[in-house]
Amino acid sequence: MPSTPSDTREDSPPDAPGRTAPGVRIGGLSVVYRTPAGELPAVRGIDLELPPGTITGVVGESGSGKSTLALSLLNAVQPPGRISAGSVQIDGLGDVVTLRGEELRRARGRHVGYVFQAAQNSLNPLKPVGRQLLDLGRSHGVADLRALVREARDLLGRMGLDGARVLDSHQHELSGGMRQRVGIMFALVLNAHLVVLDEPTTALDMITQATILRIIREVHEERGLTTLVITHDLGVVAEVADRLAVMYGGRVVEQGPTRQVLGDPLHPYTRGLIRAIPRLVGDIGEATALPGRPPTLATIPAAGCVFRERCPLRMDLCATQEPPTVAHGGRLVACHAVEGGIREERAGAGNHGGQDGAGGPDGRDGAEDPDGRAVAAGAREEQA
Amino acid sequence: MITGQGITKTFRQRGGVLGAREVRALRGVDFAVGRGGAVSFIGESGCGKTTLGRIIAGLEGHDSGEITVDGVAMSSLRPRARRPYFRRIQLIHQDPYSALNPTRTVYQALLAPLALRARQTGRPASWVDGRAGELLDLVGLDPDYVLPRYPHQLSGGMRQRVVIARALTVDPEMLVADEAVSMIDVSLRLGILALLRDLRERLGVSVLFITHDVATARYIGDDGELYVIYRGQVVERGPVETIISAPVHPYTQALLSAIPVLHGLERPGAQPVAPTGTLEEDKPDAGCLFARRCPFATARCAEEVPVLGRTGDIPQEHACFHPEARSVVAVPAGRA
Repeated sequence: MPSTPSDTREDSPPDAPGRTAPGVRIGGLSVVYRTPAGELPAVRGIDLELPPGTITGVVGESGSGKSTLALSLLNAVQPPGRISAGSVQIDGLGDVVTLRGEELRRARGRHVGYVFQAAQNSLNPLKPVGRQLLDLGRSHGVADLRALVREARDLLGRMGLDGARVLDSHQHELSGGMRQRVGIMFALVLNAHLVVLDEPTTALDMITQATILRIIREVHEERGLTTLVITHDLGVVAEVADRLAVMYGGRVVEQGPTRQVLGDPLHPYTRGLIRAIPRLVGDIGEATALPGRPPTLATIPAAGCVFRERCPLRMDLCATQEPPTVAHGGRLVACHAVEGGIREERAGAGNHGGQDGAGGPDGRDGAEDPDGRAVAAGAREEQA
Repeated sequence: MITGQGITKTFRQRGGVLGAREVRALRGVDFAVGRGGAVSFIGESGCGKTTLGRIIAGLEGHDSGEITVDGVAMSSLRPRARRPYFRRIQLIHQDPYSALNPTRTVYQALLAPLALRARQTGRPASWVDGRAGELLDLVGLDPDYVLPRYPHQLSGGMRQRVVIARALTVDPEMLVADEAVSMIDVSLRLGILALLRDLRERLGVSVLFITHDVATARYIGDDGELYVIYRGQVVERGPVETIISAPVHPYTQALLSAIPVLHGLERPGAQPVAPTGTLEEDKPDAGCLFARRCPFATARCAEEVPVLGRTGDIPQEHACFHPEARSVVAVPAGRA
């Protein structure tokens, strides 16, 4: 296994032996964006570990900072954004945050494969897929381009496509699900063992989504990868991820084994999010929208808890002090109310739907609430 | 009451890489939506559900078949005479970001249709301002906050509510909501769905809901009807809850089986169905359209065309020679 980046680069073939799933340790990561109102944090003080060989899912709504976090793994945050603090340690590569220029370019693709959101936008519409593959090979100094093409064909075949045909195709000749698989092929063909998938199934319909999720899981296991999946859809992480991190307003508010987090969510945001998902069975009235709306870069509170505006368990403390991240069994949770409040309340209530402090007793009235409250919150920001 | 009989639509493409080709978007679809009713069209992308919605909203022509609005056949009218009928049917787009003009405030967006409405109904111009406020109230927004603002100053959920308020300016009978929540943040989706359900009850407006996410279809009303569409044909039709709990068409079963299971909170259904192959591979037009992807297909399915209807004691209509109810959807983990 290579201990420094320089060992593997240069002319090693795509199937260099001895590579294994790397671990990733993100420590104290903060990313800020420069705006007319000063530098605003999109991601703040994130600690997240991706154990080797696992699939981690990061879930968040728009503006939660999840895509910024994913880009940080490639040190690819674009101006006006910049990584302002923290480190991203990747086994065999070191701290990505300190890499620059050519070093960084070579690490991307070789070590870290990235499948972009909406794969169709990351393919060149004027060139057949195969030509783009050769470009990739040349730019990474791959000596044996035939072997690279063979590898690509095998990967596509593995994902249920006719590899030769796909390599001869332009992107407009491929369906959404096929493009997504081409994106995965590009991420893996240089033998990266850390793969980041940003919204891998958005814009795909259910059956195609199920197929892609199965492929992600199978390829992950067969090739021995460490995988990070970024999504807004809890269903997606529930299907593929071993571990789950929930982001809100640039912070990771809860993380732990997927089944634990879904089966027994601790943070009020996680609980609200799960309850807000339309389900196929059960009482329609049990599902409730979260009141308020997710914060944007400009409205993320500078002090205190980022979720407090929408939180049913809000206390005075939440306005002034940022909740520390505390271990609860196998879980990490950042909430002042979790220790006392939720546990006690739950012991009494016994069911998740029964302790809805904010959304209103039934879905209908609750629905009037959400944006009404958002308005109130927005108006306050306006005056401030 | 808005109905359609035998609606067909074929798109013809000329030139291109593959030469001229035809896409049969709709192959004879019947539907009926009553006052205050809820009908949902579900299916994969490319199944024709969006085309059907656009035809119903009067934005697209069809090749054959008849649409009636309150008993009046649209084919009997000149295009100009159809307009007041189609005005009763308003489309809510998927993307509230592009549905609103970014250079106009919410007030301006509502002003034009309301002024038109005032002229049509002989109301004074002063009625407009009050009505704009009423409509925003109705969709759960604070008029004082929202009216002077531009779309970019509102969240996705608020924008979609503005779009719905604008559709209501002309007092429609039916809202056609095409993937109306798929671009809204997850925590706010239920609010929009509940609003649609609420408008049905309070205004008697009917809702035609077009989606690929079956679960959302339940939330505009559990009394609603579900149409499952595959390659331009309705393959199963009936009450939402019946079809979710006991689907009989293998395509419906495949769609429902594909919905992610929230492991930890739910267990997968007992009899999941996976389609063989992909949409692209299922080309031939003889026999059942789903036969090549169907794990239960027999020789008969490749030759004969199944017709939508009822058989035996199955409550819903279906187009399958071998209908069999299967429990495919996830169940809460706690339940035995």
